Amino acid sequence: MGYLFAAYAVFWGLTFAYVFTIASRQKRLENEIEALSRAVKREET
Amino acid sequence: MSFLNKVLAIVGKDVVAELRTKEMFSSMLVFALLVIVIFSFSFELRVENVAQVAPGILWVTFVFASTLELNRSLAMEMENGCLDGLFLAPMDRSAIYFGKMLGNLIFISAIEALMLPIFSVLFDLNLILPSLLLTIFLGTIGFAAVGTLLSAIAVNTRAREVMLPVLLFPIILPVVISATKVTGGILDGVPLADWAHWLRFLVAFDIIFLAVSYMTFDFVVQG
Amino acid sequence: MSKSLRIEDVLNWLSGLSMMVALYLVFVYAPTEATMGHVQRIFYFHVSSAWVGFFAFLVTLVGGIAYLRGGNRDWDTVALSSVEIGLTFTAMAVITGSIWAKATWNAWWPWQQEPRLVLVSILLLLYLAYLMLRAFVEGEERKARFAAVYGIVAFVSVPFTFMSVRWWQRLHPVVFEREGTHLAPAMLATFLFCLVAFTILYFTLLLHRSRLGRLADQAEGLKERLRTGEGG
Repeated sequence: MGYLFAAYAVFWGLTFAYVFTIASRQKRLENEIEALSRAVKREET
Repeated sequence: MSFLNKVLAIVGKDVVAELRTKEMFSSMLVFALLVIVIFSFSFELRVENVAQVAPGILWVTFVFASTLELNRSLAMEMENGCLDGLFLAPMDRSAIYFGKMLGNLIFISAIEALMLPIFSVLFDLNLILPSLLLTIFLGTIGFAAVGTLLSAIAVNTRAREVMLPVLLFPIILPVVISATKVTGGILDGVPLADWAHWLRFLVAFDIIFLAVSYMTFDFVVQG
Repeated sequence: MSKSLRIEDVLNWLSGLSMMVALYLVFVYAPTEATMGHVQRIFYFHVSSAWVGFFAFLVTLVGGIAYLRGGNRDWDTVALSSVEIGLTFTAMAVITGSIWAKATWNAWWPWQQEPRLVLVSILLLLYLAYLMLRAFVEGEERKARFAAVYGIVAFVSVPFTFMSVRWWQRLHPVVFEREGTHLAPAMLATFLFCLVAFTILYFTLLLHRSRLGRLADQAEGLKERLRTGEGG
């Protein structure tokens, strides 16, 4: 029973960890793109 | 020049370069002796029957020796800027693949031919058997087929000496497994019928990886 | 834009819902296995993880071939995303498999009894090498090209590895066949549902991870524009 719990804990742990890395990387890139496009706009005007 | 002539020209150039310097052969001879000494100390003192560990030692040595050879083969071209010249030459890229592959095959086979008598003497086993030679040859084709493609990739990366084994080992694992099994079978005197399926397996591996490497080599060397 | 957003939302909800149903089936609906007891319930998620890993690497192969034929960067993004997801799920399959082995054979790593576990861990090594290759190559275009070639060669080697590991083990008696040929109907239904749920989850993750790849490309493009703007 302990093994069963451990196996499913590992599964969900890894799944959420992976989803979390995707989400945080997306957020970081979105911020970066926003900053960059502001900079490009400044450059062009 | 016909396709075959181009392939042979590339092979010939590598062979001549080696015959002049003899770098490869002398260093490989020392390498083989070192490997055997190291394995003897790490195994033999505890193993009563050498035939049990011989297949494993043999193939681990072959894998390491092939990796060294493959690394050297393209690194040498890279250092002298020969690789760019080779790719600029007005010829089919597949001729380069088969030329380099045959060159590697010849060199690795030569190294193995050098090592077998040493192994036979030091392990006190007769390893020069026709069936064993066939197995080694089939395994070596597999190493050379994949290794030529992957060394062309690895030579263009940072830390290329490390990159080649990392890329190569997981892919040639089936060759190592099957060749070790067959070698064990031959040394134990198991009848042919019991390991014939492993030989067919090796042949299939060789054919498929020659085809795949030939088809993808173009994409590796362009640009 | 709004349409692709809607597909994302639908997939998000669908995968969440199907995973919940899968959990219900595994823990409540499926009967307890007679000889192994509750531990057998690891089977459903373990095999499904391995399946997603395998399927993801197949998608990498397809993405690699498509990239080499047409040169479309999106295919490279899909291939890379699929490797990442595949590795995550292969790692899950290896860890849950090892836990199960400990419960069944009292050994974390049963080399002899369970060649499939060895096989899955070789998959893990193969595609870790893929990621390492990408990290060590300079230039986006060349990186994509090399990775595509390696993705193809790696996947072609999988059936060979599978067969050799299988045959290698055959000299030893098969102590215990894990799946057996006769799963009870309720178990089979649970298992099949888990496969479907995991596949939906895979596509959801692939969609989000590919979007991340496109964002990275976009950021790279903007940086390039800034650099040339300053230069000119």
